[in-house]
Amino acid sequence: MWRYLQIWAASARYAVVRSMMFRFDFLMWALVEFFWIAVNLLLISVIYSHTDSVAGWSKYEMLLLVGTSLLIQRLLMGLFWSSLFELGRNVRSGGFDFFLAQPGNPLFMASTRKLDPDSLVNLCVAIGVVGYSAHQLGLHPSFAQIALYALLVLCGLVVHYSILVLCVSLSFWITNAQGVEGSYFTLAEFSRLPREAFRGAANVVFVWLLPTVIITNAPARTLLHGFAWHDAVWLVAVAAIWFVIAIWVFQRGIRRYSSASS
Amino acid sequence: MIAALVKYRQAFLVGMQSNLVYRWNFALRGFFSFFHLAVVFILWGAAYQGNGMIGGFSLDQTITYFVAMLVLQFFISAFNEDYQISEEIRNGLINQFLLKPINYFLYRFSIFVAARLVSGLLVLIPLVVALPWLHAHLALPHELWRFGLGAVAMLLSAVIQFSIAFCFGLLTFWFLEIQSFVILSMAVESLLGGQVFPLDLMPPALFRISQFLPYFYQMYFPVAVLTGRLDFAATCQGLLIQSAWVVVLLAFNQFLWRRGLRRHTAVGG
Repeated sequence: MWRYLQIWAASARYAVVRSMMFRFDFLMWALVEFFWIAVNLLLISVIYSHTDSVAGWSKYEMLLLVGTSLLIQRLLMGLFWSSLFELGRNVRSGGFDFFLAQPGNPLFMASTRKLDPDSLVNLCVAIGVVGYSAHQLGLHPSFAQIALYALLVLCGLVVHYSILVLCVSLSFWITNAQGVEGSYFTLAEFSRLPREAFRGAANVVFVWLLPTVIITNAPARTLLHGFAWHDAVWLVAVAAIWFVIAIWVFQRGIRRYSSASS
Repeated sequence: MIAALVKYRQAFLVGMQSNLVYRWNFALRGFFSFFHLAVVFILWGAAYQGNGMIGGFSLDQTITYFVAMLVLQFFISAFNEDYQISEEIRNGLINQFLLKPINYFLYRFSIFVAARLVSGLLVLIPLVVALPWLHAHLALPHELWRFGLGAVAMLLSAVIQFSIAFCFGLLTFWFLEIQSFVILSMAVESLLGGQVFPLDLMPPALFRISQFLPYFYQMYFPVAVLTGRLDFAATCQGLLIQSAWVVVLLAFNQFLWRRGLRRHTAVGG
């Protein structure tokens, strides 16, 4: 465990040094993420300039929800996205051999190879959005509430990570399908919607079957309405289940992997 | 003249074939686009609850807008042309075009047209399948002029889409990596192109300003004409501005191409 943390710390150090070397690149990517955050916030602002409530959520409640979703997404992008994106490409090109040869868990080694400091910078923007909305709503969360919020956000990160691993693992089976990673973004879109907006079949699929909605709604509700045991237990269980499924599929994928290079 | 057409017809056919090869990519893209449509349905459905109209348009009109936007994207928007052009510059593939009597812009444009024809026709399949269910939510206008002028707007939009992608591809002459530029501009394009929300829902002053930007004519304009969000006068004025942007962008493409070639060092062969 300690050794793995050391490996991760070494990757982080390397990522920071690298982004300091390519400062322009770092700045551009930080700007890219910032622009996409702005796009999401502008959508909220335009919708609420025409209506007061969406599925019972006021403007700043919605902003808190979207901020939470952005927070989880920035964590994923900062910590794992680049590495997992390359994983898909490596499986196609045969470069994945390198990870199998390393003395460590292949999924860990492949997930932590690169960090994105630019996304981690935007993490501050996402936290700012959550803080600003909480301030506008006049919320004064207790320490326990904030701790639970953080725990639930981490569970959300685990779920997002698992979904991304599942998407990327598809490339073990469909080697000529590029861009499966993009499917993650589509699913993440659902996480910016309030749970109350889902009706009928959409409610079954996106609230109960896929965990995309609960991962943002549960932490946001914790800040808005206080402690709710069933939400917390549900999210922790969902995170554990999806993590196990992702690892299982990834392991099955590795068994199918036949190096593509000569 | 005929010889020239034959030349680019070949490029067109190659473009078609290579697109049919990647039908898996298309299937995935199409599949997830319909997920995006589900998000639109849920979000706007919730926003319209308790409001009969938003910005003067009903829920069905807004849904129609987003459906039309999605379908038109497969017909006219540039997907990864910028990366392909960037790749060809970087690995020296464009060298062969410098030696032969082939215009690189026209060559790439022929491939683009072929690719969009394939993806556009393919997207009609899931649309027809979903039609029995979608039908109740679609509110298309009936004026005939909309279809005529909408088709013209669509063609010009395709040229604008391709020209912008071509410009970004040519940036490779100056920068090694263009991905961050492309994704940055994608955020601006999807916002000001009306893919995130119908632009007419913005405050009037901002909407007015957006009408003078090229992004407005990338997606929003043809979709708005076809789905009845712009009246006849606004459409005619829009077509004028759109034509002006086509000329400006084509000229800018030529300028970048000439300037870029001066810096080009022909790596590989």
